[in-house]
Amino acid sequence: MSSVTIRGVKKKYGAMAVLHGIDLEIRDREFVVLVGPSGCGKSTLLRMIAGLESISSGDILIGDRVVNDVPAKARDIAMVFQNYALYPHMSVYENMSFSLRLKRMAKEMIDRKVREAAEILNLSTYLERSPRQLSGGQRQRVAMGRALVRDAQVFLFDEPLSNLDAKLRVVMRTEIKALHQRLQTTSVYVTHDQIEAMTMADRIVVMNAGKIEQIGTPLELYDTPANLFVADFIGSPSMNFLRGTLEPGAVVLADGSRVPVETTGRGAAGQKVVFGIRPEHLSLSSDGTGLAAEVEVVEPTGANIQVYARVAGMPLCAVFTERHDFRPGQTIHLAWPGRNAHLFDAASGQRL
Amino acid sequence: MTTKLTRSLIYWALLSPLMVVILFPFGVMFVTAVRPREELFVYPPTWGFSEFRWENFSEMWVKTNFGGALLNSLYVSVAATVVALVLSIPAAYAMSRYRFAGKGAYRTFLLMTQMMSPIVLVLGLFRLMMSLGLVNDLNSLVLTYAAFNMAFTIWMLQSYFNSIPRDLEEAAWMDGASHLTSLVRIFLPLAVPAMVVTAIFTFINSWNEFVLALTMMRSSEDFTLPVQIYAQVAGRYQVEWHHVMAATVLATVPVAIMFSWLQRYLIRGMALGAVK
Ligand SMILES: Nc1ncnc2c1ncn2[C@@H]1O[C@H](COP(=O)(O)OP(=O)(O)OP(=O)(O)O)[C@@H](O)[C@H]1O
Ligand SMILES: [Mg+2]
Repeated sequence: MSSVTIRGVKKKYGAMAVLHGIDLEIRDREFVVLVGPSGCGKSTLLRMIAGLESISSGDILIGDRVVNDVPAKARDIAMVFQNYALYPHMSVYENMSFSLRLKRMAKEMIDRKVREAAEILNLSTYLERSPRQLSGGQRQRVAMGRALVRDAQVFLFDEPLSNLDAKLRVVMRTEIKALHQRLQTTSVYVTHDQIEAMTMADRIVVMNAGKIEQIGTPLELYDTPANLFVADFIGSPSMNFLRGTLEPGAVVLADGSRVPVETTGRGAAGQKVVFGIRPEHLSLSSDGTGLAAEVEVVEPTGANIQVYARVAGMPLCAVFTERHDFRPGQTIHLAWPGRNAHLFDAASGQRL
Repeated sequence: MTTKLTRSLIYWALLSPLMVVILFPFGVMFVTAVRPREELFVYPPTWGFSEFRWENFSEMWVKTNFGGALLNSLYVSVAATVVALVLSIPAAYAMSRYRFAGKGAYRTFLLMTQMMSPIVLVLGLFRLMMSLGLVNDLNSLVLTYAAFNMAFTIWMLQSYFNSIPRDLEEAAWMDGASHLTSLVRIFLPLAVPAMVVTAIFTFINSWNEFVLALTMMRSSEDFTLPVQIYAQVAGRYQVEWHHVMAATVLATVPVAIMFSWLQRYLIRGMALGAVK
């Protein structure tokens, strides 16, 4: 097990820059999730750590060794691919033992390790099958097993669950997390699914368009997003944004309504700002005061009720756990605890 | 059940004209090969014959030096196939996996070489082989057959290589394999179907080639089968048609049977390409 350090790493394909300078310190035993929209460069960064992609500039260190020019096979890193990349002409057992056979490990030793990994992953009865004869979830586990038997310094995962159905994805998510807690191998996990990121990560790295937007624990990102992008990306349903102008003690919306917010030390009067509040932090105000919103659509999910409404022409979502009987067209009044309100500069998108 | 039967019958009825056209020469060939010499030129021609003369084959074998020509043909076709494959696989792999300047131009060049008939080049090739001292040497045929087939084999192999996911090799590298190891243990086993197809193609082309063989081979002990059979017909006072036909049967049928049997491996191999 080992730390991974990424210093000022850039990637260019010809003239097109894909990564614009990434700095990231992944600690020993940590489970770090790279998350971001499609095309933001997550896979590219992961493949650079793996040694499958060259580094245009900057350094990547595994432990304290600069590995820029070390070929993939010598980096002692295991990787789980999105489409599993199981060797189709080998049985599950051969797939899992391939790396050990390359190392010319003793037969009994290989056998012990493969059976141990198969035990952990519930694959013991499938060892003689070929990958073709397995379900998606089982193939995924074989891909994990191939990484597991190696005792590698670092595990890399590139969207390993994206080919699975929703239910299995949740199960495997928990399994991978449990596995990490047990093995404690430094892991870098790529996904575009923020729930996966939130539930699995020790720390999350939010990426966008080849840059890191924010690094932090799941709750740090949720509670104090550094900018509009992170605020929007983390959380489901995502945060509500109301555009307006800053005045002492409030944000004034387009229709003149005032949204009360703590403003001391947060920008100047007259500044264009974005007020942010998460749907789950909204509640009905009992006395008819608070932000007036016109209900448009009501979606009960069972556990809660999601209400889509409009405030000064802007869409807003609220989630209630109590059972309210809302009707479309009805006006409701919303309140929230002051500490849950977020404020961003409209021009730069940075948190105020 | 009956509808299925009638449908099959209709399909076969529709296919039959084509079948007749294709099978007619083989029919003539076979019937001529097994009838007694005296019945060769009966008029009007008939399909029937008085007895099966299997001896035609053994007579022919001795009289036409069939065995020697067969060995020559086998040597040339197998060697040309091996040379073509050994040289095409790295070329196709590079074209499939690496980017390099002039790759598109190279592909076009390969295609263009296919548009030239060997006959156009035969004089030049003859002089080339002369200067190399390879005239009357079977290896001259090995070289030219391999060269003429490589454009196709590279194209064919490259298209198939493109369909083998790069992830598999990358996974092997991550597992600690060198490029060579991943090539030998992962990539090539998956490319076997394509290699079989191209091998069959090259083999058949070489087996049937006539013009170059006729030009390059001067002495009769170096003749390949097509030239040897031709020599039984051309410039003879009397042509032993039953022997000629017996020889063509022996030259075509075993190869045809062998490859229709190999075909099942192709189909099985194709299914192996599926990864997900
Ligand atoms: N070989 C390549 N040549 C040129 N551009 C490339 C190449 N590979 C990737 N890119 C570009 O780099 C950018 C980042 O790609 P990358 O695969 O890292 O995205 P990603 O974040 O993993 O997205 P996804 O979630 O869709 O997998 C994309 O805009 C892509 O078009
Ligand atoms: Mg990706």
